[in-house]
Amino acid sequence: MSALLELQGAGISFGGLHAVDDLSFAVEKGHIVALIGPNGAGKTTVFNMITGVYRPTKGKVCFQGQEITGWQPHAIARAGIMRTFQTIRLFPAMSVFENVRAGGHLRAQQYWWQGMLSLPAQRREETALAERTHEILCKLDLDRFANEPATSLPYGVQRRVELARTLAAEPKLVILDEPAAGLNDAESSALNRTIFGIRDSGITVLLVEHDMNVVMNVTDHIVVINFGRKIAEGNAAAIRSNPQVIEAYLGRDENEAENVT
Amino acid sequence: MGTFIQQVFNGLTVGGIYALIALGYTMVYGVMRLINFAHGDLCILGAFIGLTMLTSTAGSGHPGPALLLLAFVVAIVLVAAAGVVLELVAYRPLRKADRLAAVISALGASLLIENGIMLIWGPEVAVFPSGLLPRITWHAAGASISFVQVMIIVASIFLMAALYLFVNHTRFGTAIRAAAIDQDAARLMGINVNRVIAIVFVIGPTLGAVGGLFIGIYYREAYFTMGWTYGLYAFIAAILGGIGNIPGAMLGGVLLGLFNAFAAGYVSSSWQNAITFALLIAILLVRPTGLLGERVAEKV
Amino acid sequence: MDAKLKPLSQSVSIKGDTLFSRRIGLKGARRIAGGLWVLGLFVPALFDNAWISIAAIFAIYGIVALSEDIILGRAGMFDMGHAGYFGIGAYVTAILNVTFGWPIFATIPFAILVSAGVGALLAAPLIRLRGDYLLVATIGFNAIFVLAMRNNLGGITGGSGGITDIGVPFLFGFQLASQSAMFWLDWVVLGIVLVLMRNLDASEFGRTLRYLKQDELASTTLGVDSRMVKTLAFAIGAGLAGLAGTLFAVQISTVSPSSFVFTESVTLFAIVIVGGQGSIPGVLLGTALMFILPQIFRDFAQYRYLIFGFAMIAVMVLRPQGLWPQRSVRA
Ligand SMILES: Nc1ncnc2c1ncn2[C@@H]1O[C@H](COP(=O)(O)OP(=O)(O)O)[C@@H](O)[C@H]1O
Ligand SMILES: [Mg+2]
Repeated sequence: MSALLELQGAGISFGGLHAVDDLSFAVEKGHIVALIGPNGAGKTTVFNMITGVYRPTKGKVCFQGQEITGWQPHAIARAGIMRTFQTIRLFPAMSVFENVRAGGHLRAQQYWWQGMLSLPAQRREETALAERTHEILCKLDLDRFANEPATSLPYGVQRRVELARTLAAEPKLVILDEPAAGLNDAESSALNRTIFGIRDSGITVLLVEHDMNVVMNVTDHIVVINFGRKIAEGNAAAIRSNPQVIEAYLGRDENEAENVT
Repeated sequence: MGTFIQQVFNGLTVGGIYALIALGYTMVYGVMRLINFAHGDLCILGAFIGLTMLTSTAGSGHPGPALLLLAFVVAIVLVAAAGVVLELVAYRPLRKADRLAAVISALGASLLIENGIMLIWGPEVAVFPSGLLPRITWHAAGASISFVQVMIIVASIFLMAALYLFVNHTRFGTAIRAAAIDQDAARLMGINVNRVIAIVFVIGPTLGAVGGLFIGIYYREAYFTMGWTYGLYAFIAAILGGIGNIPGAMLGGVLLGLFNAFAAGYVSSSWQNAITFALLIAILLVRPTGLLGERVAEKV
Repeated sequence: MDAKLKPLSQSVSIKGDTLFSRRIGLKGARRIAGGLWVLGLFVPALFDNAWISIAAIFAIYGIVALSEDIILGRAGMFDMGHAGYFGIGAYVTAILNVTFGWPIFATIPFAILVSAGVGALLAAPLIRLRGDYLLVATIGFNAIFVLAMRNNLGGITGGSGGITDIGVPFLFGFQLASQSAMFWLDWVVLGIVLVLMRNLDASEFGRTLRYLKQDELASTTLGVDSRMVKTLAFAIGAGLAGLAGTLFAVQISTVSPSSFVFTESVTLFAIVIVGGQGSIPGVLLGTALMFILPQIFRDFAQYRYLIFGFAMIAVMVLRPQGLWPQRSVRA
């Protein structure tokens, strides 16, 4: 069985700086996979390459066996990959409800002229879209915030809204960039339960996470990168005992580390 | 050959003027990311103030060049003052607002100045007096260049060199460049950004007033809507060179001046303007950051 | 990070400005709007010809301003050449009617299609330009359009004088020649456009424009094809402006380049920003201020633009979100 998502020797450089280099890993369908590494390792850049925000300068990205390297972000979204951002990107002048409804964009079938004429089929779809949005809000315990301006809410809630927005699209793969950043302990463990729930509903999850407890307990597979290159890959036990990972995390000073790569 | 050299002279003259005005657009854009639509009108305000000085001092018996110098000085002082007031009243309160609010404010300021000029000096074309400058014309290889042209070219080069040195070799220049790169970072480094912006609104209108008065002296006329026409050309020059980029504005001005001079030799003037605008769109499509501007990738 | 998001959310303030619509509710607001429109139908019965024609001009420019608002206020694209599309519609009607003898109503689809087509053709390559660059490029387009008309492009645009003696429309055998009949035509079209705009705001396409305006990157990762949507928005906005162009040609019975110059585009742009981006009442209020007030204060005609300029600065400094901003958060 081929993997849901596969990177083959993927790399990108920004004016000489190899932010990510020769990176290969696979995400199996139904798994929760963590991408970890120190700050500046290139994790966000990897996500940007997968979702088409950046175009890889080397290598390939394949999704469901199809090469998607260099596709536009909207085409990749259409293929079934949805993401959140490390710096939350909600629509600032919209309510929580409107933000989550935006996730349903790809599910809407109406044409612009049907909307302008307000034809019956379009109105039916609007109602269905609203109901569906409401369901997701309830599922993520956001319904009481539905009419609040999204960006006025606490950080933890905003992260949840962004997650709800990706789920509204019914993706095959969700990519979460530091979903637990800025959350307190209670919010964090609620998030873990939510992530399990997402996986159990059949959606594959790829995430960046700094809390090692979470990484070790929640994930099926872990990929570790440093300075844009993969230094280890495997399950929690294998990663925990990997000397290179320990080195990268316990921190030798930067110059030395650079000499290694 | 003769016409070729002739067009080079004409192009350099007009190009120097464009460059002087373009610098005002580009510096404001560099520091504030604002198209100062009122800049062209400020420049023409300079032309009218200069004209008033010239006509009111004419016949006072002082030598022409001295009167001309006085006209320039008064025009510069008043236009620079207007620039500072403009920034204070119309732009500073909007620095944190939606960018379009500042755009509308700039357009409003443009209307205000343009129609203010009309109410003060009237809607008719004002004619500049002759005989201020020596009527010398040099001839060579079938081309001729007048004293006015030489004066404009030399003065433009001098002013641009002075600006270049100021921006690159003084503390204030460094502050301007820092603010252009990142206002917040500059503020954190202890740079008084308000002061930098005020200085930019002195320098831009100063050069603009000179440019505007040159237009009046060169074409020997001024009218209140002139600010739009020449402002737009100078602005195109700034874009051509790369908006926000000081050497770019100089290069863009000269290139546009030459382009117009040569186009005038081959197509009728009514289509010449259309070609200039088509050139503008072509540049924007092919290289929106202009000849000397740098591309910046958005970091996510 | 939070601070990065602030400027946008500030520009669309959330409380206070929506008080009016909050208090009476969306339904109530619509009922009032509908009532006002019906009242408008009685303008010819109550006022003299001069005022009827002012009301007709208001309806026509209201449509153009609303169409500009689709591109500028809703999709957030800085279109400062909108008078160009308006002009294209007017010229298409004038040329087809005067030169080729078509009935006015038959020219309408072409006025819309040609404007929309030019809008789309122009937009397709230009929309990847960042805000200010797009603004400058559309200024360029407007200038080229006017110069081409002045230079009597293809010998059919009539040069600086334009095209005169445009015919009157016939509807079911009736001639819409009187000032009142033409006003009713304009008023009905305005009503239709208002309904279309309201529907647009409540449709996926209308929302997609807002997504793009507020965060283009986030939108595209949600599956929004930004090029396609933006081009379409340009085409729709330009097409509606073209429709208004037909009405304008009929109303004035003359088209000439000076009606579509860049200053007109600036005025339309200002109407949207001063009135309130994405706000139908705001844009209509802006249109009224720009086109009706000057008629009332005719004696001060020479101060008109001076006052406009002053007012534009004053409104932006005091109310950067516009006079009547859009309700930003709706349930
Ligand atoms: N658009 C860009 N231009 C230049 N450098 C970039 C860009 N995006 C990322 N980088 C660089 O790539 C490296 C990896 O960054 P990032 O992926 O954000 O790290 P992480 O998410 O692992 O903390 C950093 O050195 C960063 O500066
Ligand atoms: Mg990161």
